[in-house]
Amino acid sequence: MTPKRILLASFFITVSLTFSGAALLAHHSATMFDVAKVIEIKGKVKELQWTNPHIWIQIEVQPASGSKQEWSIEGGGPNSLSRQGWRPTTFKPGDEVTLRINPMRDGSNGGLFVGAKFADGKMLGRWE
Amino acid sequence: MSNLVIRKIATLVLVIACASPVASAQQRPAGALPDWSGVWQMVGPTVFDTATVEPPNGRAGDPGVRERPPYNDEWEGRYKKNIDAIQKGVLPDPVNICGTPHGFPRVLNLPDVYEFVVRPEQVWILGENGPNIMRIYTDGRKHPAAEDIWGTYTGDSIGHWENDTLVIDTIGAKGSRDGDVIVDRTGLVLSEAMHVVTRMRKIDHSTIEAQIVVEDSKALKAPWRVTKRYRKLEAGTRVYDYSCSENNRNPVTSSGRTLTLGPDGKPIDKVVD
Repeated sequence: MTPKRILLASFFITVSLTFSGAALLAHHSATMFDVAKVIEIKGKVKELQWTNPHIWIQIEVQPASGSKQEWSIEGGGPNSLSRQGWRPTTFKPGDEVTLRINPMRDGSNGGLFVGAKFADGKMLGRWE
Repeated sequence: MSNLVIRKIATLVLVIACASPVASAQQRPAGALPDWSGVWQMVGPTVFDTATVEPPNGRAGDPGVRERPPYNDEWEGRYKKNIDAIQKGVLPDPVNICGTPHGFPRVLNLPDVYEFVVRPEQVWILGENGPNIMRIYTDGRKHPAAEDIWGTYTGDSIGHWENDTLVIDTIGAKGSRDGDVIVDRTGLVLSEAMHVVTRMRKIDHSTIEAQIVVEDSKALKAPWRVTKRYRKLEAGTRVYDYSCSENNRNPVTSSGRTLTLGPDGKPIDKVVD
């Protein structure tokens, strides 16, 4: 394991092998994501891009050591998410949140949204 | 000339003026049309033929998922080639390029929501995703002559009513001819020879069913029968704009790989080819 891998391992944990957010993707296939794997990342929301064809949650993650890393988490489309109760303010800059994601297969700082848990205990998506 | 005669002549002129030049006895008046108002959502995943999908509950786009259309050997080979490409991550969804309709019959297999606008002279199937529009002429017109048809994404559809069932006849779809239309993300494809008859009806207050029979003299050995259902969403549901190009952070490379861009527009993928 490279030093960077060890670093990353210190701030995310593998949750299960069953959750998948692939059904959210109406625009492209999910082949870049490992939908058989779910990890958790914890950090501070930088921005929610409430846009078509997919929303993006930009989140800053602070590893145990080293500088902050920005992750790009892809979600469904704003139209379908709005009918599930999401709004452009669902994730606000500065929100402390733990995200469950299907990670990028190549280990880069991105993933597919599965679920979220906010600092006040509010949960969103699949969080079982 | 009496006022009564003048009124009768005026009424006759108005009726003639309002009549569509292509209207025929097949066109049904507005008051006799079924109520398909509201917002609807396809039941189940965007697997076109859920009855034959393998593995059961497999999702279109996941590696190894396939259906069992009655392909001839040549087109089974094409399908397998696409399935292999999906496993390698190099068969992008053509709609990724942002600019083309989903095509027929995929227009009946969309995520997000639908509206079915029933008018005497046409029925419009409006898909929020895309957005996509399928126009079905119900004014009695025929398909254009063969020399007046060129393959289009959604083809040419004419329809008529049998009681409360809309019978749609579709030809002229270009299928996979140009490599920019698939039927679903398992890699299903059809040829421009497809001829599809779709029977749509409301089977209960909140369900519309489409029984689709696909014939394709180039690709299929036998008719392919597929049933799709659409569930009515709660009253007041809104439909929104959709624009693939608003913030598309998943462009496709020349090798067919779908990238993921960071907020700065640069790929975050470790390998870009």
